[in-house]
Amino acid sequence: MAEPELRSPLAVRAAALAISGGVGALLIRALLVLPKDEAGLAPLVKANLDASGVKNPVTAVLLNFRGYDTMLEIAVLVLATIGVLSLTIAHSDKWPTVAEHAAPALSALARFLAPAMVLVSGYLLWAGEHAPGGAFQAGSVLGAAGILLALSGYARPAGMTGFALRAAITVGFIVFLAAAIGDMLIEGALLEYPADHAKTIMLAIEAWLTVSIAVILASLFISSASPVEELRRRIRGGR
Amino acid sequence: MPLSEWVGAQLPALVILVPLTAAPVAFLGVRLGRPVALVSALMSQPLAIALALEVAREGVLRYEIGGWGAPLGIDFVVDGLAATMILVTSVIGLLITVYASGYFTDQDRYRFFWPLWLFLWASLHALFLSGDAFNLYVCLELVSMSAVALVALTARREALVAAMRYMLAAILGSLFYLLGVALLYAAFGSLDMATLRGAIRPDVTGQAAFALMTVGLLLKTALFPLHFWLPPAHANAPSPVSAALSALVVKGSFYILIRLWIDVGSPSVAPGTAHLLGVLGSVAIVWGSIQALRQERLKMLVAYSTVAQIGYLFLLFPLVRAGGVAAADAWTGGVFHAVSHALAKSAMFLAAGTVLARLGHDRIEGVGGLSRRAPLTAMAFGLAGVTMMGLPPSGGFVAKWQMISASVLSGEWWWAVVIVAGGLLAAGYVFRVIGRFLGREEAGDREADTGRSPRTMEWTALALALGALVLGVAGQPLLDLIPIGAPALVAGIGVTP
Repeated sequence: MAEPELRSPLAVRAAALAISGGVGALLIRALLVLPKDEAGLAPLVKANLDASGVKNPVTAVLLNFRGYDTMLEIAVLVLATIGVLSLTIAHSDKWPTVAEHAAPALSALARFLAPAMVLVSGYLLWAGEHAPGGAFQAGSVLGAAGILLALSGYARPAGMTGFALRAAITVGFIVFLAAAIGDMLIEGALLEYPADHAKTIMLAIEAWLTVSIAVILASLFISSASPVEELRRRIRGGR
Repeated sequence: MPLSEWVGAQLPALVILVPLTAAPVAFLGVRLGRPVALVSALMSQPLAIALALEVAREGVLRYEIGGWGAPLGIDFVVDGLAATMILVTSVIGLLITVYASGYFTDQDRYRFFWPLWLFLWASLHALFLSGDAFNLYVCLELVSMSAVALVALTARREALVAAMRYMLAAILGSLFYLLGVALLYAAFGSLDMATLRGAIRPDVTGQAAFALMTVGLLLKTALFPLHFWLPPAHANAPSPVSAALSALVVKGSFYILIRLWIDVGSPSVAPGTAHLLGVLGSVAIVWGSIQALRQERLKMLVAYSTVAQIGYLFLLFPLVRAGGVAAADAWTGGVFHAVSHALAKSAMFLAAGTVLARLGHDRIEGVGGLSRRAPLTAMAFGLAGVTMMGLPPSGGFVAKWQMISASVLSGEWWWAVVIVAGGLLAAGYVFRVIGRFLGREEAGDREADTGRSPRTMEWTALALALGALVLGVAGQPLLDLIPIGAPALVAGIGVTP
């Protein structure tokens, strides 16, 4: 089948240009008159930082002050993965396998890099308490290590089907949820950490989040390797 | 602290946590999906009822997540509107869950329906309770993600194309909304809606933020002319999903719109814009109904009917801004319309799903004589049609009555004309289907009928349709609940005590 024409008609492109130009102009105008002295919530965050249990204000906001947002954002990641898995399994019951013939340079590189990436991930997780870092950064690095290993043939995603994968995808969210519910029983409000243990609880949540984020990112990458072609073929026509 | 007291204090959190906990469990246990969903659906009922009773007794509830309190933390805010939406979502959710347990014959292939559906349910509850503009964005993302995945569930070509289009529209809508939230925060220093209400100024930034958020939410609510993604997505999804999308999901973004326009930003929005929304709503009513009349497939007809019915919701904007007693009538009537449409539309989609399951197709031409073979399903569709047309004694009648009264009181009688005309057009497309149901069987129609329609499927659709009908005579508690804690624009004229 020939590649379908991807270019839109001139009128459509002109309309798109006009709309995005208009929105852009509106945005620029709105930004130009923004008040310079509006500090937002930063002073409030600073004033409550001691009570949050961590020294990095970003972590305090993400895991404590607005921890509920973060919990729901993890749910978004889990959902996206379930969505991809549901399509992967709906058309073939196999987790796609990865080519076994990796280039020698790639596999040598992977052997050097992967351990270092695991180490960096652990450091980022720990550093999040007082400096930029945390579960999202740590999970991204760990997930990248997983993708590298899969591409170079060391990790066998084909063996990762079933319960182990599903558990790894959800464990971060489940730990977060369990902490949230535990706080309701102990302290009286959703995600109200006991003051003495706030730091420990947040670190535990972040550690499991790191695992889940890594597995989610890696499995999104790996599972989209083959089905996308299949889906695209179906969308274009024929079965 | 005794358990009942603890549950009472934690109600806003619990209505979200029950489906939110059930979702990962349904994903982990391959065969747990259906039982876990049923347990979660049953548990949601007393919680939603208790929450509504609590609001009716105590007035608006606030719940400080993490104990911080807004604006540093995030608060749940439960007023009459929120409690109403939770109640409706819970009731419809239960019936959809029961229907789905009979609908998916290949439970193994569709096992991911359950976690996706539970996530959707939890995120709708989260959306209705949130008092924070950014948290609402996260809720919108959760709703859209689960809805898109549910549309694509069958992996059939039409479903995939529709899901893709739906996803692009939904993401664009979310990002517009997020841009607006970012501007609001940069200019007014808060994300908490109650704080923003006091801080917002009608300057360029405030208006730009409102314009961006409004366009994004209109795209998600599928108001004409931004409805292009809705009919294929709602018609090609599995029927329990179609019901949830048309009944509940489009109401989610509409809910944020009325919170923003009528509560948070009332001083900063020009009245002309409210009228523009009313005009678009009117065009949606006429255009959607005409398209519904022209459809060949039953589910496409029902989906275009949603495009039309969404239009009524937007008459609320000009009518509320007209002020006076009209505002209170418009507020209650608009929300009541959202509720009765949710019940009737889910009944229609579930009935259409039963037709599809029996015949293997949903061509309107081919449903002749079905009222004799599947009387309950035909009756469910017909009774839902009564609400859709706005005939007494249905919930749709009460809602339209309130809106017509609001338009007469406000002197803007032309909205009443649109409302009445929309009812006539609805009669056109409803009777077109009923006529075929009651009509003669064509050769081969009976042979095509597999006769497969479990009682769980027929009775749930009928229960929803009856619910929409009964709302008209027994809807008073809801009519009392809706105005509790209503925005100043609505409540400021002495209607609510």
